[in-house]
Amino acid sequence: MRTLLRCGAAALLLALLAPSRGARADTPPPPPPPPAPAVAPAPDAVPTTTPIAPSTPITLPSIPGDTGHFELGSYGRVVIASDGRGGTGRDANVIAHGDRIDEDSYGELELRREDRLAPNLTTKVVWTLGFFPPFFHFSGDQAQAIVIRNLYAQTTYDDLTLWVGSRMYRGDDIYLLDWWPLDNQNTVGGGAGYKIHWRTDETTIAAHVGMQRLDSTYQYEQIPASIPNILATQAGPGSENVTVLDRPRTIETLKLTHLVKHPNGEQKDGFKVVVYGEAQEISAGVYTDTTVNPPVQTALPADTGWLVGTEVAYWTGQRDTFVQLFLRHAEGIAAYDPLAVPLTFANDRTTRGSSETLLALGANYELGPFGLLVGGYLRSFRDGDSSPTTSQKYDEGILAVRPQLYIGERWGVALEGAFEAKRYAVLDPSTDQPLVASAWRAGIMPYFSPSGRGSYRRPQFRLIYALTARNAATRELYPAQDAFSQRPVEQFLGMGVEWWFNSSSYP
Amino acid sequence: MRIPPSRLPSYALSLGLACVASLAPETGCVQVPPDGQQPVLATHVQDWRDEVVYQLIVDRFSDGDVDNDFNVEPGSLAQYQGGDWKGIEDHLDYLQALGVTTLWISPIVQNVDSDADIDAYHGYWQQDLTQVNPHFGDLASLRAMVAAVHDRGMKVVLDIVCNHMGQVFFYDINRNGRPDDYVNGSGMPGDPVVQVSEYDPPWHPGGVLSYSQEGNSGRAPILFFNDPAINRLPPQPGILASAAAYHGFGHVEDYSVVAQRTLGDFTGGLKDLATELPEVRATLVDAFATWVEKVDFDGYRIDTIKHVESDFWPVFAGNTRARLAGEGKNDFLMFGEAFDGDDQLVGSYTMPGMLDSVFYFPQHFTVFSNVFENAYDPALAQGTDQIQQLWAQKMTNYGSQPQPGGIGVAPYKALVNFIDNHDVPRFLFASQGDVNALRNALTLLFTEDGIPNLYYGTEQEFTGGNDPANREILWTSGMPTDGDTFAHIANLARLRKAYVALRRGDTKVVWSSPHVAQEDDAGIFAFERAGGDAGSGTYALVVLNTNDFKTSSTSNGSSVMQTNAPAGTTLVDVLDPAQATYPVSATGQLQANVPAQKAMILVPQSQLVQGS
Repeated sequence: MRTLLRCGAAALLLALLAPSRGARADTPPPPPPPPAPAVAPAPDAVPTTTPIAPSTPITLPSIPGDTGHFELGSYGRVVIASDGRGGTGRDANVIAHGDRIDEDSYGELELRREDRLAPNLTTKVVWTLGFFPPFFHFSGDQAQAIVIRNLYAQTTYDDLTLWVGSRMYRGDDIYLLDWWPLDNQNTVGGGAGYKIHWRTDETTIAAHVGMQRLDSTYQYEQIPASIPNILATQAGPGSENVTVLDRPRTIETLKLTHLVKHPNGEQKDGFKVVVYGEAQEISAGVYTDTTVNPPVQTALPADTGWLVGTEVAYWTGQRDTFVQLFLRHAEGIAAYDPLAVPLTFANDRTTRGSSETLLALGANYELGPFGLLVGGYLRSFRDGDSSPTTSQKYDEGILAVRPQLYIGERWGVALEGAFEAKRYAVLDPSTDQPLVASAWRAGIMPYFSPSGRGSYRRPQFRLIYALTARNAATRELYPAQDAFSQRPVEQFLGMGVEWWFNSSSYP
Repeated sequence: MRIPPSRLPSYALSLGLACVASLAPETGCVQVPPDGQQPVLATHVQDWRDEVVYQLIVDRFSDGDVDNDFNVEPGSLAQYQGGDWKGIEDHLDYLQALGVTTLWISPIVQNVDSDADIDAYHGYWQQDLTQVNPHFGDLASLRAMVAAVHDRGMKVVLDIVCNHMGQVFFYDINRNGRPDDYVNGSGMPGDPVVQVSEYDPPWHPGGVLSYSQEGNSGRAPILFFNDPAINRLPPQPGILASAAAYHGFGHVEDYSVVAQRTLGDFTGGLKDLATELPEVRATLVDAFATWVEKVDFDGYRIDTIKHVESDFWPVFAGNTRARLAGEGKNDFLMFGEAFDGDDQLVGSYTMPGMLDSVFYFPQHFTVFSNVFENAYDPALAQGTDQIQQLWAQKMTNYGSQPQPGGIGVAPYKALVNFIDNHDVPRFLFASQGDVNALRNALTLLFTEDGIPNLYYGTEQEFTGGNDPANREILWTSGMPTDGDTFAHIANLARLRKAYVALRRGDTKVVWSSPHVAQEDDAGIFAFERAGGDAGSGTYALVVLNTNDFKTSSTSNGSSVMQTNAPAGTTLVDVLDPAQATYPVSATGQLQANVPAQKAMILVPQSQLVQGS
């Protein structure tokens, strides 16, 4: 652990001290970050959420005798910005989970049916659609990227909760980084939770098992095959696609959450400890390259992984003040983002030797007209590649702060400051040392908050200006033709709005 | 903060969980290992004749890292197979067991990745001389491999190309701005069918012309491709991305015409560099010397030297030697490939100020092909007198003095001998699988004057025919080290190392014969290695029978082989496990019978090295 801290600190320090250099030849861009759908705390199936977003839900009051009703909820953000040079503003982060001030638009629309069938028995069915940019009014393209983020049913009977379906299933996030550092599953599966009450304390045990089979030749392949003769006599000769590679990733999770209410004797403060674990498995398969003759088969061996982590959180109950600390370690296939497939492997084509270790911090403090949001992490990732030098071995980290001044009850100005760095186990050709990509960022965001003052009040209407200074090593990660390979400073000047209300994913 | 007793369990649990979590395995900061960083240049060789060179195609030797297996098509020998520098580093034990001391690795620089569905796995389609080919690893892994080789006292020779780049541009013959490949004409009288390829048009004196149906309109513009998908991009560095850096005469159609040979594009549309330009020369010197500085290579093998004008080589070699010597790298070997049986032509590249050595192609044709490969067929077999005649020309045709600032050995003593390589069919293909002849040829290779060079896969008795069949995947053989040919090579390397006469002694042929049939001495060839740079008194006598069918003798009728060994010396055959002895007569003669396709390596009993 100390080493991780030292590494992260060293990476940040090295990046700070890295001499300024001229633009150099292109190198491949960093792998894209995993889909970062949205923001905020946990699903309501398992009450693991630090109560940090108490914006008033627009929920109809329960009516005696009313056995059911429909609910509409949403999360969304729409951002439009210029790069100050006549182009579109663009995310300039260099790490996997960077500061979010320049992130792109995203929206969710949730339709939910809720029924109370008995005083101790409820059900709900949740449909959530996610909408990804560009939107029609920007691109003129009528095709809109829409995904199903939730499609599940849940029931709660006394202290037992059961659910089955396709679901975002996750814990607490770090708002400034738009990131769930401990648990963030996106599977088709099911789970159960059980709540134990200890006078004022509360413990919840939640388990889940789900599957993913991404549309990648790592997990799935269809090839054309001749129709069986017995059918060809009726339909004529031809081909049909046959699935020859089918190896979903199976993920089991177990989460223990202990909630301590009012540890200081105050009415609203609280303390939470989460212990989380995952096991993951993927079966063996064979990939067949049919573009060559004869087709070439590549054996894909079975693989496994595991993950353990913990979170400690404390909140004062005064406005939205809280602090969270996350620690996590993963091995094997569990070191990889659930919605991504490994890019590199050990020589036996497993993820043996891959690991991820991270320490993350999130906090918010509000006092009078002042507020301070903090987010940061140190993360070490190692792939299983036998080569000691690969872009898939790296340390990265960020510290982002957003101090705010509330002006009256509905207006505010947020400042943004962040430094992020990523140290790769690849040679920087100009220094002959590991390549350290880094970026400084400063921004200002005046806003209007109709629902009142506070970091987590929404909606929030914003003007945004951010300036990002990227070092030469960062620029080397982009093709020579990409402006990001040439410009040391990026601007992001625009406006945006963010809202959330009555959402299962963003209570 | 006061903690009520009822809260203690909660706090204890929290503390415990934090402690457990902190026990997660520690992870160090990412680093580039020291052997992946800039090396300190050093001279690693004493005398290149002490070396046993092993030529390997990186893509075919060993796959040490599956993560750089881009676009690999296993088994399709015209495509990438996945070998890399890490694979070499992982198999140095194998190479040392074989007795290899120097690796000649195929080119390392970025190539046009693919052309007409054939891949650049061999590395000779260079595009960017400043970047490594990612199929084989990164700079750090290349350095790590070379450092590991040096740690074992071995050396690495880098393969480079000065004559051409890959197919990086097309001739816009019809000036439409696109590369065309089409057929014109109806075939009727006055309207012949003509194929026009703007990728690789034929030689035209003065340069490829553009034309339309009205006639020609001057030199065809040279337009560089821009196809990142296969890395067919404007070449680098600097002037190489300029049309002025190329001759633009189209491809060679007649290699016997000097102008075509030196100014025309090479086979496959490989674009001929205007190597007479000082800027191009300086770029090539700098580009390749930079790799030596970055990686600590010990020498160059230089491709297609006969396609470059001769006066290029003193400039290239002289500037390279001067630059590297100033950085602590001496005895840097530069040997060139002139694919030609013309001994005078091949030797011309070793004249004063030029290269230290050349690939001894005339010997490949005259000796290993004519005498050894053909031995299986009495109608084709040729006498060993050819060997003597060829060797007799060395002093005349090759440089007789060490190059200034070179390796310290005269070119004629440092020729790089080889049986076969990646450009010719393997010995076992050409000889119809004659393993005994191969082993006998290997005996000559390891005992003759010069630097022995072994093509990878010979030790596993590979049998591939012409390119690409002769570029087999080595690792699928399992790379066993207990085969008879492997053991034979290892034994020869051990003997060459043990007996300095076999490495540095002067050569004197004491028996050769035109006979290939039933004559007493049919197939016999014998030569002494003695004195010279090996030191006074050192002596070895090598006797080979190249005849496939009968035991032959070092005599013919009443004529018996005359040696220069002192009268009465007892010679021991160190190639024979029983170490049979042979007395030299009072008159210095030696009568010995040698079974078909066998050999003897005879050393004086007084010079016998224990364990040899």
